[in-house]
Amino acid sequence: MAAATLPNISSDLIWEVVRSNNSYLHKTGAASNGGVQFSRDPLNLKNVHSRKYAGFVNEKAVGIAPGEKGGVVVTSKKAAAAHQPSKSAAQTSIGGGKSTRKTYKAVAAQVAKTGYRADLRAAAIERASAIRRSQLPVKADPEPKLRGKKAKAAAAGES
Amino acid sequence: MVLVPFSPRTDFFASRPPAPPAEQREAVKMVAAKKHVPIVKKHKTTFNRHQSDRFDRVGASWRKPKGIDGRVRRRFRGTIRMPKIGYGSNKKTRFLTPSGHKAFLVHNVKDLELLLMHNRTHAAEIASAVSSRKRIDIISRAKQIGVKVTNPKAKVTTEV
Repeated sequence: MAAATLPNISSDLIWEVVRSNNSYLHKTGAASNGGVQFSRDPLNLKNVHSRKYAGFVNEKAVGIAPGEKGGVVVTSKKAAAAHQPSKSAAQTSIGGGKSTRKTYKAVAAQVAKTGYRADLRAAAIERASAIRRSQLPVKADPEPKLRGKKAKAAAAGES
Repeated sequence: MVLVPFSPRTDFFASRPPAPPAEQREAVKMVAAKKHVPIVKKHKTTFNRHQSDRFDRVGASWRKPKGIDGRVRRRFRGTIRMPKIGYGSNKKTRFLTPSGHKAFLVHNVKDLELLLMHNRTHAAEIASAVSSRKRIDIISRAKQIGVKVTNPKAKVTTEV
């Protein structure tokens, strides 16, 4: 690695600095649910605050977001420009017309097959799947089944 | 007991309608929580302070009895139980609601999006100060991403 041309700030150092507090971090109170920590980072596949998934820290990272017209948009970081956030994003969109299986295949190919971040394969597919599922039309709530007095009143009203 | 000869079902594949294409399929209403060990509550009632039931001036919040003759402190038979660490919940089921989710406080849709990948472990709880107009946005988005909302009826009425 040509260390002389790159800024000599390692991901590990950045993580040590920002792990206790950063703008993406969402902490909750320990008394309500045990103090779970989530991350709003767009390059975080699981929304979990951890070194592995922290996309803004790692040189190589993947983010998956819903596309504007359905489908998913896969964003990855160019390792060479990891220190320049505006230049580092590389986007690929996978349309909503594609079947989900093909979507996952494309995601996996981009994330893991090329040896980019093989450890994120499962998480990437999981997220792509969650996004595709959220794009399905929402089922209407079932009619509440009335009981007791209300049911009697409804039956009387009908007949 | 009457034994009936085994007859293999031949209509199994025929009776199953083909899956509709992706555009017509509807999102599953709500994702069930992840499987977990059974929730055991070792002491279901709250621990009230000794003699808080007898005097208005003694509040209900727990104070450990410190008196030299205290019956409760000396754990006499028939007296109230004192809280102790043994009553603690299993770490795995601590904070779990009966549905198996942990509550996650949500103030807006952006907070809700954090639960996209956690809809089997966490449920959204809309904060009390959120208006009914914004609650409707949160609830409809929660339905899309399959997140359970613990208080979907608060401040929101459905049209009859």
